[in-house]
Amino acid sequence: MMIRKDTLLYKLTQLHWFLLLTIIALAMFGSLILFSAGSSAHDLETGLLKIDARYAIDHISRFIVMLGVALFVALLPLRLWASLAYPGYAVGVILLVGVDVAGNIVNGSQRWLTLGPLTLQPSELMKIAVPLAVARYYHQMFAAGRNGLWVHVVAFIMVAIPVGFVLKQPDLGTSLMILGAGCAVIFFAGISLRIVGGLLVLVLAMAPVIYFFGLHEYQRERIQTMWDPNADPLGAGYQLQQGMIAIGSGGLAGKGFMEGAQKELEYIPEQHTDFIFTIVAEEFGFAGSMVMLAAWAIAIVQGMSIAGNSRSSFGALAASGFVSTLLLYVGINIGMVIGLLPVVGIPLPLISYGGTAIVTVMIGFGLLMAVHLNRANDMTLRGLL
Amino acid sequence: MSRDWKNLFPSRRMIFLTGGGVVFLGLTARLAELQLFRQQEFETKAREVRIKLEPAPPHRGTIYDRNGRELASSKRNFYVTLRPEVASAARDKQVRQAEIGDVIERVGRLLRLSDAKKRSLLQDATTPPAHRDILVADDLTWEEFAQVNVMAPELNGISAEVGELRSYPLQAAFYHTIGYVQKANEADISRMVDFELTAVGETLETPEGKTRATTVRRLYKHPAMRVGKQGIEAYGEMALKGEPGNERLLQNATGRVIDRLPSEDLAGKPGADVVLSIDAELQNFAIQRFAADPATKAGSAVMIDIATGEVMCMMSTPAPDPNLFVSGIASAPYKALREAEENPLYHKAYDGVYPPGSTFKIVVAAAALESGAMHPNETVHCSGKAWYYNRFYNCWRPEGHGTVNLHTGLQKSCDCYFYRAAEKTGIEEIAKVAKRFGLGHRYELGITGGKAGVVPNNEWKLNAPRIKERWYPGDTISAAIGQGYVTATPFELAVMCARVAGGAAMPDPHLIVNGIRVPDPTITPMGEFKPGVLEAVRAGMYAVTSEGGGTAIRSGELDPEGKLPAPYTNARMAGKSGTAQVIRLDNLRDARGKAISNDKLPWRLRDHALFVAYAPVDKPRYAVAVVIEHGVSGSSTGAPIARDLLAHALRTDPGAKKAFVPKARDLAAAESGKQPA
Repeated sequence: MMIRKDTLLYKLTQLHWFLLLTIIALAMFGSLILFSAGSSAHDLETGLLKIDARYAIDHISRFIVMLGVALFVALLPLRLWASLAYPGYAVGVILLVGVDVAGNIVNGSQRWLTLGPLTLQPSELMKIAVPLAVARYYHQMFAAGRNGLWVHVVAFIMVAIPVGFVLKQPDLGTSLMILGAGCAVIFFAGISLRIVGGLLVLVLAMAPVIYFFGLHEYQRERIQTMWDPNADPLGAGYQLQQGMIAIGSGGLAGKGFMEGAQKELEYIPEQHTDFIFTIVAEEFGFAGSMVMLAAWAIAIVQGMSIAGNSRSSFGALAASGFVSTLLLYVGINIGMVIGLLPVVGIPLPLISYGGTAIVTVMIGFGLLMAVHLNRANDMTLRGLL
Repeated sequence: MSRDWKNLFPSRRMIFLTGGGVVFLGLTARLAELQLFRQQEFETKAREVRIKLEPAPPHRGTIYDRNGRELASSKRNFYVTLRPEVASAARDKQVRQAEIGDVIERVGRLLRLSDAKKRSLLQDATTPPAHRDILVADDLTWEEFAQVNVMAPELNGISAEVGELRSYPLQAAFYHTIGYVQKANEADISRMVDFELTAVGETLETPEGKTRATTVRRLYKHPAMRVGKQGIEAYGEMALKGEPGNERLLQNATGRVIDRLPSEDLAGKPGADVVLSIDAELQNFAIQRFAADPATKAGSAVMIDIATGEVMCMMSTPAPDPNLFVSGIASAPYKALREAEENPLYHKAYDGVYPPGSTFKIVVAAAALESGAMHPNETVHCSGKAWYYNRFYNCWRPEGHGTVNLHTGLQKSCDCYFYRAAEKTGIEEIAKVAKRFGLGHRYELGITGGKAGVVPNNEWKLNAPRIKERWYPGDTISAAIGQGYVTATPFELAVMCARVAGGAAMPDPHLIVNGIRVPDPTITPMGEFKPGVLEAVRAGMYAVTSEGGGTAIRSGELDPEGKLPAPYTNARMAGKSGTAQVIRLDNLRDARGKAISNDKLPWRLRDHALFVAYAPVDKPRYAVAVVIEHGVSGSSTGAPIARDLLAHALRTDPGAKKAFVPKARDLAAAESGKQPA
């Protein structure tokens, strides 16, 4: 039976099912780990099996809702998202200004904005909005045949404005993520490698200056801890050191589901959010960690192939921008947990407990699938506007 | 669309994917380093030198008597714990059992533990989880402690610790009122979790509530922590225990605590001190007075200061030493305590419910006058028995009292007079006055237990489980002499006597004067009686001890030599005797059909002896109720004890001095310490 090409059903059959299944598998795995985070095979107090599925149920229900949102995003025309890129970016910047002026201070950081019943974290929105707007911008420039250095300079300014606001909140982790995603789009848009190299050298040269003058005291502390977690076992290094003990003691095959010992002693703060990987590594060992990393590698390679197959430069750049965000998420989160990077508050998407990251990531996956569905459309400027 | 870019994009993707590959390789390499090459190191580390946050039991509040004498305090405690995961790391169950068993065997030799104790320790230590401290023994001597400390490096998992342990310096004297502490069992822990959550208004559903519950659980699992099991220790647990703190312990590879790190920032708050209104010296005197005569080996006494409502003495004898319970009492001695016929575990003054016998005539007399059913001078003829509702009711004196009025009725305790008075007054009026005198009420004193006696009337009888009948006129006749359905605790009888003596101005009785608030909003106020009612009753009670023919004529004198200072010089007491049947003697006849006298009966079937009294007669200050279980006669066994207790009270006059106020360690804790009921 032939399915008519303009129906929803046809579009569904054309979805990137392999990517979709990878995402679902990762989220299921996340629920399993969160189930273990709340539960224990031998409870510290009673010695009995203790079950607490609250985190897992929350996680999976959020995922299901967001999966619906992602499919909705994927099935709408990509052209619509392209035309929303600038307005979205503008709204995002306005909200960031709003946060700066009237935001709520949570944990000493001004990130949240209350609008009536809604509490928004605009910086999270910018992880998607910035690469989208920059992709849209390049799409327009390429169509007009412009590709001089100034084009990239303007793009960088588009990135730098929101990054500046987020840095001021202060939220180093998110600002680095936005900067990374934005710069990745500029990189994919073809900025000269010589300039990239030059900038990298410059950043490295500036590093000591930034370290001593650009960072807050607590941020410097975190970097010191990374070099020597034993220096301050009661303070900043505590979490990291206990996390490493959990990971290292997991060994090749891990201690087994719900058998993790470190979580029981409550040695690792935020173990169900940013430090969730310690449970993966302790209970499923090196083997389990590798399987999870492989799933993420598959998602990233799939994302890049979607970008490569897109005929429109907007699609290709938006897709690459989001895939870069994913790589940053996974790389920074695991890197910090295993002591390769300083501790910044970045969760492990689809695995960590928490509502905000899953919204960002699932909207991103929705866009990625929209790019895939619209890969044949080159979206000339006329058609776009 | 820029063609240049189209050509460039694939190479950029390749660069990105290569970069991504490098990132993943880096993560993999690091994970391999941690999990494959350094696994051993971390596995050891997971168990070795680490800083452990351990809940530190706070200092438990001290309980004082009114003069600041310590009734329950904390002494230094040397104890030894075992951590199973350190005693044996073997995965195999057999090997674990053997290794842990060996440690227990060796420490058991040092501390001379019994085989049964060693077996139960091994059982406990081989039950998961292994990462907790098990109490091996406590209350050790310094020598034992030092010995274990020296040997500890060779005893894996064994630590010698110093903490605090509850101690009761006055031993048995306050067993029933103060209670005791013990190691918490699962039921205690759940109860305390509930209390704690209710107190802070959390539930187990919220993360905060959960954390709180975990803290409470961990605290009560601490080897040095105890929980109040009864008495004030249990009622005031929340206030007495204080706020737990934490302690940072540095452990080495064998789990031995090698250092205690500074933890001032984590310190808890000590518990609130509690002050009782009781005078320990008077309490001790009462106990010795009962113990002096085998005929009074079991019983209770309550004395209340009429001027303040403070309880001066509240004893129940015999009693065990609460110190025996703190480290756990063995089952054989405990069984003996439970089964002893003197009921040593039972708070006779507060939980004991007795027929008030003739002491209830005080209520009937007041009710008859208050309701106008009898005039004080109205007489009744007593021939030794009276006919009511188709049966004879006997007077205690078979030959009868002749012509009796209210005054002589009380004085001689003539049953016939009170049959008539009760019949004319009716049970509803009697019940009303009984309530006004403080009967039929469980007084909230801040200790566990406590009973309310029965003040029966028609409504009560209709609703009483297992009876559910209307009130018969004959029931009133039995109630007239404090038999039948009427019951009261010694505490209630003391309140009754204090109210009669003190009048409407007498303050409500209370036991705790400092540390915990114990409100009792349900107390029935006495209210004013018609003029002359209480005076007539008091005159009758005075006649009991002081006019020829009174039932306790030999016990009226409190200061025969006139040595006491004013206003107690030559003080006399007023009182009322009572005898409560344990069994219906009417049904128990000997071979010739004669009633068996009490001294022929086994001890546990003899009548209870009761006496309520107050002194001095002219300006009442102290009221006492004495109940001697199976003491046979209220007037000959009860009255002398009541006399001696009152004489002692007048001599030392404990109520004259204001109660001790402890140094305020933390007033907030005392304020918020009320335990939710």
